[in-house]
Amino acid sequence: MSIPLVPQLLRSHLRELADNNQRLDNRAQFEGRDVELEVGILGNAEGSARVRMGDTIVLAGVKFQTMTPYPDRPNEGGLMCMAEVRPVSGRQHEAGPPSAASIELSRVVDRGIRESGCIDTSDLCIIPGEKAWQVILDLFAVSDDGNLFDAFALAGITALRNAIIPQEKFELGEDRPLIVSKTPIMCSYQRVGGRFIFDANGREELGGDERIHITLGDDNHVHSLQKGLKGAFTAAEFTELMEEARKKGEELRNMVHSLEGGN
Amino acid sequence: MGYGDVQMIDANGIRNDGRKAGDVRPISIELGVVPVADGSCRMKWGTNDVIAAIYGPMEAHPRKIQRQDRAVLDVRYNMAPFSTSDRIRPGFNRRSREISKVTAEALESVVMLELYPRSKIRVEIEIICAEAGTRCVGLTAASVALAHAGIPMTDIVVSVASGKINDVVVCDLNKAEDNYGEADLPMGVLPNSGELVFLQMDGDLSPEEFQEAWDYNMNAAMVIHDYCVEALKTGRYPQ
Repeated sequence: MSIPLVPQLLRSHLRELADNNQRLDNRAQFEGRDVELEVGILGNAEGSARVRMGDTIVLAGVKFQTMTPYPDRPNEGGLMCMAEVRPVSGRQHEAGPPSAASIELSRVVDRGIRESGCIDTSDLCIIPGEKAWQVILDLFAVSDDGNLFDAFALAGITALRNAIIPQEKFELGEDRPLIVSKTPIMCSYQRVGGRFIFDANGREELGGDERIHITLGDDNHVHSLQKGLKGAFTAAEFTELMEEARKKGEELRNMVHSLEGGN
Repeated sequence: MGYGDVQMIDANGIRNDGRKAGDVRPISIELGVVPVADGSCRMKWGTNDVIAAIYGPMEAHPRKIQRQDRAVLDVRYNMAPFSTSDRIRPGFNRRSREISKVTAEALESVVMLELYPRSKIRVEIEIICAEAGTRCVGLTAASVALAHAGIPMTDIVVSVASGKINDVVVCDLNKAEDNYGEADLPMGVLPNSGELVFLQMDGDLSPEEFQEAWDYNMNAAMVIHDYCVEALKTGRYPQ
């Protein structure tokens, strides 16, 4: 549906801006949009968060189900992370089965959280071999103006860190907080106008090239990486992005922790 | 537990959430909650939390859905997976398809579709948190969002459901009343003409009870219409 001419004009405009070290919304190269982060905003979810970055708005909700543990891991529960980019969130998002792009989005966010080991799956066991908790993190885009990856990852880990296991409802004792030992943070960069920028907005995404997603844990360990879209980058560029992600990750992690006064 | 087994209204006519029989749950409305959409509205009604967004009028494709003399409305009602007590698997089901269909037909009755031949207007209704009466909240929120998008309409649709609990007719059923009550009558009213564009019912109502529930809905619709108009003037209700 997209008319190729518009992205071409946009691309040349973005190139001119980049040559003068400028961006469409006057941000610096590695400057993110202001982040609003709220918790406990969904009445029927056991943990929830809302993230707003510019005109990008997402929700995360945590639900719990009981499951039969996998035969090879009888003492462990599970984590499922699903992201939906429904047509409510933008003109370009059509109804229908999930697109390849939204499946990638969902899986990259899932890997960052899962591989950080922040959720101790053995803590989710109820009866070994018979019953365990399955944690389901649902990510929902309300408004897509670019960089759903970082918004989803931030909302997701925040919702998990504020989730309560509803043991009473399942007649399994008293409710208790879900233990989340780490705070993995994703930082996404996209090549726009020839150089990498942080937190691309919708128009920068439309006129941009390859993107790189970096998820770092508390101790700056790398937990997930993804390169998406067409394009090639150098080792030097990647080193710079890793350095930026460490700085930005620290800032966002502190923001998540600042909402946890009670715990 | 079945019909009538749960006591939901006391001897003084006070319901389990403190309301009297004719009271509507607290309502708040906020416009522009989906900044990338052409019009949008978030409606909290009791503990229901619903977002409606409008895209269009835009080119209708595939071409076979185009109408030469009018626009088509593409309406989707969907419950988010975390919107209910038990998680809902994502995707359309029979219930959401039916609600989308009757919602579309209600809105088609007021939107001046003939002004936009061969185009499409997308109406997206997302239930973020569900209590009871989500179809009514969704329809009302969608019509406010359409007005916010500047789409010409002959009226706003205001939808509300009354019903019967423990043999008492009450206005605007809450979750327990919807689950254990004896009847549910959702209606979509055009406040300016008093006409109806949406009507469903299930349960058991005598002719007198039916009239009482009908009148509750009509009266509630007029009150809620004032909230909607206030929100459209200032961006939110209450201020």
